Amino acid sequence: MTTLSDNILLEQIGCGDEASFETVFHQHYDRVYGLLFRLVGNRAEAEDLTQDVFIKLHHHALQKRFLVRQREHNIGAWLYRTATNAGYNALRSRKRRWQRDTLLVPDPQGIPGAEAEAERRERETAVRQALAQLPERQVQLLLLRQMGFSYAECAAACDVAPGSVGTLLARAMKAFRQVYEAEKIS
Amino acid sequence: MNEQEKETMEYLTLLEPTEADAPQPAAQALARVNASLREAYRMSWSYRLKQTVFAPQRRWVTAVSLAAVLLVVAFTFPGFRAAANDFLSLFRVQKFAPLSISPEQLALLGQIAEEGLLPGELIIHDEPGALTPADNIAEAVALTALPAVRTIPALGEPDSIYTADGGGGRLIIDLEGSRGIMEAVGADPLLLPDELDGAQVDVTIFSGVEQRWGDDLTLVQSLSPLVNYPDGLDEQALGQALLQVLGLNPDEAQRLAQEIDWASTLLLPIPQNVATFQEVTIGGSSGIALQSLDGSDNAILWQNEGMIFLLTGSQSIDELAALANAME
Repeated sequence: MTTLSDNILLEQIGCGDEASFETVFHQHYDRVYGLLFRLVGNRAEAEDLTQDVFIKLHHHALQKRFLVRQREHNIGAWLYRTATNAGYNALRSRKRRWQRDTLLVPDPQGIPGAEAEAERRERETAVRQALAQLPERQVQLLLLRQMGFSYAECAAACDVAPGSVGTLLARAMKAFRQVYEAEKIS
Repeated sequence: MNEQEKETMEYLTLLEPTEADAPQPAAQALARVNASLREAYRMSWSYRLKQTVFAPQRRWVTAVSLAAVLLVVAFTFPGFRAAANDFLSLFRVQKFAPLSISPEQLALLGQIAEEGLLPGELIIHDEPGALTPADNIAEAVALTALPAVRTIPALGEPDSIYTADGGGGRLIIDLEGSRGIMEAVGADPLLLPDELDGAQVDVTIFSGVEQRWGDDLTLVQSLSPLVNYPDGLDEQALGQALLQVLGLNPDEAQRLAQEIDWASTLLLPIPQNVATFQEVTIGGSSGIALQSLDGSDNAILWQNEGMIFLLTGSQSIDELAALANAME
């Protein structure tokens, strides 16, 4: 994540340079989708949200076009923060529509009926229910780390000091296990 | 990473997309994003124009765009003076003057708005209504109480007709905020006089009618907005200040401020990277024709006998002008 090149890319996107936008899109598409899928658990919704995130990036670049040099930008961090917010907004919206108590449970429409999948989906739901009880930043950190993000990338995306990522991650893992075990017992 | 932490990560792998959950190919997804972006920018062009001219207070409500606030505050000063009372000036928009504004300046104004620098307090006392379908022109006239609703007989009956109630709002100007904006754009804040502080500007937007033919030809009409503001304000000095806010250098702003008849003209900032403009004559009245840079989205805006008209569509400017001239 080199912020210098990100500044140039952002400025070029703001100037309507399609090639720069394509570069950023191809560079981050899989990971943005991966993060959103992990959050919402539904392919169609994750695809739509991924699209929204990149549209927001385009608007962001346009708005900041002539201000990007005033500070260092990190497009990846911005994308993953925006994706996390978009994912949580979708979950909250879904909660309002379909559910009363549980976040991070996959859209029922997205659950295939195949029995072979049933057990896996059950465990997946247990994981989602446990995550739903953690603060958003801990969830974001856990998911990013599981996706293979480096500590530096996690720090940038979660907007925390790089030196504190290890501690925050350990705390998040501990919190997850406690909630997960408690869910299993209940 | 200890065993428990490894176990946690394994649990989280359950959330990974399976093969069946793989997203559409990146190229396909990018094509969708690009199509949405094109549509968003195309839609926003004529939509913003309608919002600016016919329902500017909606944009106040959102408080998103400082530029829009300035538009209303500054550029609806015009109109003609009527004897409302001894203390107020009463204006109606009579003609339009387009002004090219750079994307850089728009970005700067957007940034200023994001930072929360506002020219005053806005009070919406009468929210404009949403679009309401009307069965025919006669019903639209009855709903809006407009003296008359004009249409384009050559196109036949409109596919749809909508009315919208007007509304009203008041801006109480905060001198410190307004001067802050001037400073932020590199203009001289002292162009704004002390007596501007606390000045109240009232804007009334009237009910309007929108007729649509096919997918993209739209005619909107409404009585010209009405603006009240304290008497005695130096319109030319304020105009000069606001021209600087819109990106003109001090000399240009001074020259143009002197040329513009602030008592009859609504200034329309047109982003350079969005559209070009030219003057046209519709039914003997001067108007402004706007053409998007890709030529796909055009509009003509004009005023006639106290009414404002906006005709938008994908037709050429000449075709739109012919339709506008054929209105009855």
